[in-house]
Amino acid sequence: MTVSRHLQSEPFDIMRLLEETENDASGALVVFSGTVRNHHDGKEVVKLEYSAHRALVEKVLAELEQEVIEKFGVHRCRIVHREGTLNIGEDSVLIVVRAGHRPEAFEAARYAIDTLKKRAPIWKREHYADGSVVYQDGEQLVPEERSAD
Amino acid sequence: MIEIQFYGVLQEVAGKRSTSFPLEEPTALVEVLERLQEQLPGLAAHMPRLACAIDDEIVPRTHTIEPGATLALLPPVSGG
Repeated sequence: MTVSRHLQSEPFDIMRLLEETENDASGALVVFSGTVRNHHDGKEVVKLEYSAHRALVEKVLAELEQEVIEKFGVHRCRIVHREGTLNIGEDSVLIVVRAGHRPEAFEAARYAIDTLKKRAPIWKREHYADGSVVYQDGEQLVPEERSAD
Repeated sequence: MIEIQFYGVLQEVAGKRSTSFPLEEPTALVEVLERLQEQLPGLAAHMPRLACAIDDEIVPRTHTIEPGATLALLPPVSGG
C-alpha cells in the first residue's frame, strides 16, 4: 500500500474517503469519478498507464483541495488519482466534495476535476488493441503565477 | 552537476528516466535547456510546451539553476 495522500497504485476505497470526509453540517455530497474507457479517437483502448511526478502531485493536489474549499465555501474536498496500469472500467481519479447545499457542491467538483487536468503532473499512456502505445498530449503546465479569476 | 529527470513522453525521447548533467556554476535554465537539446535533438519538438521544475517547484525558464539541484522536465499533462 502506498502512503501517499493523493496518489495510489491500488484501486480506490470510496467508503474510506466518504468516512474521512463525513461532516454533519453538509447537506450535499458530490462524488466524481473518471473511468478508463475502451476507446479514444476511434481506436480501441485495452489499458492505460499513468505516471506522475509524485512530489509535485502531492503539493498540487493538496493546494487544489484547499483552493476548492475556499473558492466555493464547501466543507470538504478530497482528490485522489491512480498511478500504474489500469484496465478498462477502473477508476483513475476520484473527487469527493461535501457542502452545505448542492449548487456549490456540483460547481466545486467540476472545478476540481477541470483544474486537476490543467495542473497535476500526471501523464497518461494509452495501449491500443493494435499493439501501439501512445502518450496522450495534454495541457501545458505553467509556473505558479496563476491568472486572476 | 545536476540531475535532469524526464517525465511522460520525454522518457521515450531521452531513452531514460534521468541523467546527470555537468554544471559547475549557477546557470540560466534556458541555457541548460539549449545545451541539453544539443545532446538530445529529439527534445526540440517538445521544447515549446515543456515546463520545468527545480527541486519540486515549477519555475519559469528565466530561473537560474544551481549545481546540485534536480531539474524535472514536464511535458503537457494528461491526468484525470
